[in-house]
Amino acid sequence: MTYSSTSVMASLFRASSSTSAAVFLSQLLACGAEDAVGLAFFEQKVRPVLVEHCYACHSAEAKKLKGNLYLDSKAGWEKGGDSGAPVILPGKPDESLLIRTIQHLEEDMEMPPKKPKLPVAVIDDLVTWVKMGAPDPRDGAKVAAKRGDKSWWSLQPNKTDLATAGSIDDFIEAKLKEKGLGFNPPADPRALIRRMTYDLHGLPPTPEEVEAFVKDCETNTRASKDLIDRLLASPRYGEQWGRHWLDVIRFGESNGFERNFIIDDLHPFRDYVIRSFNEDKPFDQFMVEHLAGDVVGKGKPDTEVGSAFLVAGPYDDVGNQDPVAQKNIRAATIDDMVTATGGAFLGLTLNCARCHNHKFDPIPAEDYYRVRAAFEGVTHGRRVVATDEQRKAHADAMRPLTTKLAALNAKKEALDKKIDTRAKTQFAQMKFTRPPVDRFGTDESFTATEAKMLRFVISGFTSDADSKAKPGGLGGRLTEFQVWSSSGKNIALATQGTKAEGAKSATAEDFPEAYGPQYCIDGRLGEAWFIGTPSVLTLTFARPEKINRITFINSRAGKEDAEDDSKVRGATPTEYEVQVSMDGTTWRTVASSEARQPYTEALGIVMARRTVITADEKATLAGLEKQIAEVNAAIARVPKLPEIWAGKFAQPKEKTFLFRGGDPMKPVNEVTAASLNVLDGVTKPYQLSADAPEGERRLALARWIVSQENPLTPRVLANRVWHYHFGTGIVDTPSDFGYLGSKPTHPELLDYLAAKLVANGWKLKALHREILLSRTYQQSSSALSNPGMQVDGASRLLWRFPPRRLAAEEVRDTMLAVTASLRLDPMGGPGFRLYKFTQNNVSTYFPLEKHGPETYRRAVYHQNARASVVDVLGDFDFPDVAFASPKRASTTTPLQSLTLMNHRFTLDMAEALARRADGPEAVVTAYRILFQREPSETESGAAHALLAKHGLRALCRALLNSNELIYLE
Amino acid sequence: MNSPLDQTRRRFLGQMSTGLTGVALSRLFAAEGATPKGTHFAPKAKQVLQIFCPGAASHIDLWEHKPLLEKFHGTPLPGGEKEVSFQGKNGNLMRPPWAFAPAGKSGKMLSTMLPHMARHADDIAFIHSMTSQTNTHGPGCINMNTCFTREGYPSAGSWVSYALGSLNDNLPTYIAIQDLRGEPPNGKANWSNGFLPARFQAVAMAAQQPLRNLARPASISSAEDEAARDFLRTINREHEQQHPGNSELGARMAAYELGAKMQLAAPEVSDLGGEPKHVHDLYGTGDANSLKAAYARNCLLARRFLERGVRYVSLYCASRASNVDGFLNWDAHKTLKADYERHCPIFDQPTAALLMDMKQRGMLNDVLVVWCTEFGRMPTHQEGTSGRDHNPDAFTTWMMGAGVKGGVSHGATDDFGRRSVHDVTSVYDFYATVLHLLGLDHEKLTYYFNGLQQRLTNVHGHVIDKVLA
Repeated sequence: MTYSSTSVMASLFRASSSTSAAVFLSQLLACGAEDAVGLAFFEQKVRPVLVEHCYACHSAEAKKLKGNLYLDSKAGWEKGGDSGAPVILPGKPDESLLIRTIQHLEEDMEMPPKKPKLPVAVIDDLVTWVKMGAPDPRDGAKVAAKRGDKSWWSLQPNKTDLATAGSIDDFIEAKLKEKGLGFNPPADPRALIRRMTYDLHGLPPTPEEVEAFVKDCETNTRASKDLIDRLLASPRYGEQWGRHWLDVIRFGESNGFERNFIIDDLHPFRDYVIRSFNEDKPFDQFMVEHLAGDVVGKGKPDTEVGSAFLVAGPYDDVGNQDPVAQKNIRAATIDDMVTATGGAFLGLTLNCARCHNHKFDPIPAEDYYRVRAAFEGVTHGRRVVATDEQRKAHADAMRPLTTKLAALNAKKEALDKKIDTRAKTQFAQMKFTRPPVDRFGTDESFTATEAKMLRFVISGFTSDADSKAKPGGLGGRLTEFQVWSSSGKNIALATQGTKAEGAKSATAEDFPEAYGPQYCIDGRLGEAWFIGTPSVLTLTFARPEKINRITFINSRAGKEDAEDDSKVRGATPTEYEVQVSMDGTTWRTVASSEARQPYTEALGIVMARRTVITADEKATLAGLEKQIAEVNAAIARVPKLPEIWAGKFAQPKEKTFLFRGGDPMKPVNEVTAASLNVLDGVTKPYQLSADAPEGERRLALARWIVSQENPLTPRVLANRVWHYHFGTGIVDTPSDFGYLGSKPTHPELLDYLAAKLVANGWKLKALHREILLSRTYQQSSSALSNPGMQVDGASRLLWRFPPRRLAAEEVRDTMLAVTASLRLDPMGGPGFRLYKFTQNNVSTYFPLEKHGPETYRRAVYHQNARASVVDVLGDFDFPDVAFASPKRASTTTPLQSLTLMNHRFTLDMAEALARRADGPEAVVTAYRILFQREPSETESGAAHALLAKHGLRALCRALLNSNELIYLE
Repeated sequence: MNSPLDQTRRRFLGQMSTGLTGVALSRLFAAEGATPKGTHFAPKAKQVLQIFCPGAASHIDLWEHKPLLEKFHGTPLPGGEKEVSFQGKNGNLMRPPWAFAPAGKSGKMLSTMLPHMARHADDIAFIHSMTSQTNTHGPGCINMNTCFTREGYPSAGSWVSYALGSLNDNLPTYIAIQDLRGEPPNGKANWSNGFLPARFQAVAMAAQQPLRNLARPASISSAEDEAARDFLRTINREHEQQHPGNSELGARMAAYELGAKMQLAAPEVSDLGGEPKHVHDLYGTGDANSLKAAYARNCLLARRFLERGVRYVSLYCASRASNVDGFLNWDAHKTLKADYERHCPIFDQPTAALLMDMKQRGMLNDVLVVWCTEFGRMPTHQEGTSGRDHNPDAFTTWMMGAGVKGGVSHGATDDFGRRSVHDVTSVYDFYATVLHLLGLDHEKLTYYFNGLQQRLTNVHGHVIDKVLA
């Protein structure tokens, strides 16, 4: 590095610290040697500062690069770090992030971190340098991090010409040869039909099917082709492969988070997925329906339902009042949609670009917000999904009824008003001799009397004048009920042996004591009895006592520190009788609410009404109420328009912004719905305007995702198909085709399959057929005579068919199938539950001890609530659907063994199998049913010994636990 | 692989290698490629006891004394007038309903509502400057357990199980003991394995709730069970011989042997009947307050689990939201005094007894104890009430036991407890410290999922040196 006029400049620079930048700048410019001067300034004033204060975290030498930002090259600051924008805007220090951070103008980004602010002089130097245009000679420095750029393999155009090149087996064999390996011999027909049936149906073949296929193979060269055709034509196929897809798109039937309420009308989407697979619907169309089913299928419920994809993920609905929290929750809600879309269709981890540019893939943060802009108008919830005919029929049926109802209501209101006018006059004249009830404690005294029991019979509450008060909501409550003996002692205490009974209006199943009447006699305020119907509190004392007073309290805190009514929760009894008894049969009233001033004027009017209403009016009102009830019943009988959980759509009121650091409180620049930068140059880009209609945004995104040029979509889908057939994908991170995902083991095969998929019109069945007919698929899984085990233990090169354990649903469905317990109908509709669902503000899911026959349907129809943890499924790696599960784990744990040995379900299945296999040849029958083969001599001997000593059920229980049942070869 | 813990594990495996279990365990590990990762450096602690008080237990009413809150009671929070938080508007500053008093040699000011806990003041390291990512209970609880507010991430206990594996051969590695009153907010997600394999999930077990599917069905005799298992062994062995090259087959056979051992061990550990009366009295298992007695039994159970080498125990005191705020947990929105006069006595004696019992037995040389809640509460009262709303900007947690320096307080909130201001700390820092004490570098403990090498501490976290012994 050389520059001129060193000494002159040096003296100028020294001056700069104390001179205003503007003056200095003009001096510099006057020199007429901007370039040289600028670079000199950089070397003398800027580089040392950067080296000393910044390089430790922002250079190629950094022990750990922070914020993904390099400051050791010009390209580094031009590219910027996590903010996704250049950190220096030449000439504009006020807008340059680097300057702002050292000036401590950026919250949470004060630089250098955790150190005192740089000296003013140093900051001024850097400001000056930026004003100069930030001259920087450091080119060619390393900005390349360990990350992918646009030359990343998965972003390259698909080699469509491969569709006609070679075959699956050619690609596989070529790789095998490189390692000196070759294919295994073909699998035997029994293994093959088991493999194919599980693969396409998730169920075992019957012994008869196996026998027929084995025979067929002896004479028919097309035997396996016929088998594949039969399997693909069965509706069981859609159930199995639809289930795979539900994993990919994080389908769950509760909202997750704190309330985790169950969603009962998402099953139409599950059925739509199964139906689409069975119909072999072109997958591009299927994906478009996921993102914009309501747009492309308006008035066609079967298509519209696809949009439920957007709202099948978890979201927070807790009703936060904090405005910042609300924005964050909304951001997280849309983030779920963005994440699901990126992963399922594109194999892109778009979510990693929410707070900054993607750290490993060439996805700028703006791409994330372009997709967000497409979903800005989507909210969770249900909407009517109906045909135009259905809508019209419904409106026609409703119109006369609502007209009639309005007329009746008007009549009733007029009459009520008339009565109320008189009631008000009456109320004004009424005399009350006693004060109103006090929510913090109301006393009733009476002549001392002997009592073994006392009951408090309530007929009115402070909430009676409130038409919105509902039982069980803000209904009546008592925190304490005291009974005073003549000697002035409260005997209504559990500690005194008193017992309390009374109906309650709320329950918590996991906490049976909650809300009970015992809280009235626990000697403490705080917990309350939630008064149910009939509203009677019955107290039984330990022994007969002489009593003369009672006190009832509704408040949760003492009056002394009560500043307001809010400590009083729920309604207080206002009208009541206090009755005593010695035997529980004969009761005597000792006190009542008579002559008490009403709690409010409105309540007084309610009371007065009872005295002024005439018999005629009563009859007329009753008549009207009866008619109203009839009309309401008729309305209830009109079939409701089908409403399903398919999301709600509205034109967004707010614009979409890129948020710095993902923080909704830090909007940076406006973003509109558009194609993703990451595929610029490969796909045809589009950009919509800020006011583009909501539905159009989603449709444009969908069309772009399935566009001809998009290389990711068919690759990702073809890889998923391969993944489910062989247990591992060609890319073994099926929803991540980025830098941190894994590279394809057979890139050309992947492109071949992708090209085939598109050439087949995006239909999966043709692809299944080709794969299942390959030598690769049909080879044996044995490790006996192939050196592959030493070279490639994980069988990624496919020198054998990789053996696998059944998935969670397959394990359970197999047990149902082999015991002839499985019910294939109904094929859809509301799901069954292997948990008990309870709701008490939040939801709790208790796994069932006994699975009734109503649950003997395929596991895909299980109502799949989040965080419900059902042992029979969860122990075998059924995923909790907080996230998408593009691949299942397959773990082995002692808990699995406890569940399968001891759960009532196994026992029930063992009994069912015992009934099915019972007979003189029980052992052989059981082996044929379970394994579609005869037992060996050892097995037969051991089985008969067990059978003789402990019976057939013991044998069946053991066989259902066998490895052979749940491992596929 | 030279850390002391690894040696312990190897010794442990070695001791068993003569028996079936040793072989079984190693086969199980090998099949999954799930051999414990091992420590990164010498650990100070081998096990963790996490005590969790869900509902956002108030920092300023229990642990962090704020004299100015008493002085300025009834006046507006400077700069915070009419602030809107989770449930709505806030009123004036509100003093704690009870006095604070100095505790221990350190003279730490603690609420007089927790007299038993006060006796441990000199052994506890308080962290007063915690902050949360959320003001909502469910996400807050899982944030405190997983460092993420969204479901689907592994809990700290799962990460530790994944990193260090088991210390026993007949009990689960990670156990969650829930309260008699039900699950905490967000339920089972608090002890979820998230995207880690299912074997790293916590097993839910409590005094009131035995391990699911543990017991042999009543209709099956032990002789029948034995015979069935023998038969199963025979046919699985034969099947395995015919299918070499699938290590999962052997692993599953091993899992059945381990399950059988668990079947014997778990009822023994859950049977509190053998504990002497003075221990029961110390914990309060016979207390007239049924909720306190239930929690006390769970405290005792926690000690027994830890004694038998359970790696990570999560113990909950209180549960979820109900129709009444502050009823089932520490969420005192409306009536703080009445609520905490119910919750504190349930928590205080049994927890203090558990700590004392473990200390006397020398268990705190190995066990790290951490106390958590999801966030703090406002210094103001909620408008129209005498309770406090949620405060994600300030709360207290504490640590004690193996590797922890007692009698210190790290960080502080402002004068009123509204915001953490000194040495501001996060859940990430908290778990960076927990992992550090276990001999793990929180930046090196990773697992690939959905596009990232995931970490318990996300991309954050600094070890809190001040609490280290």
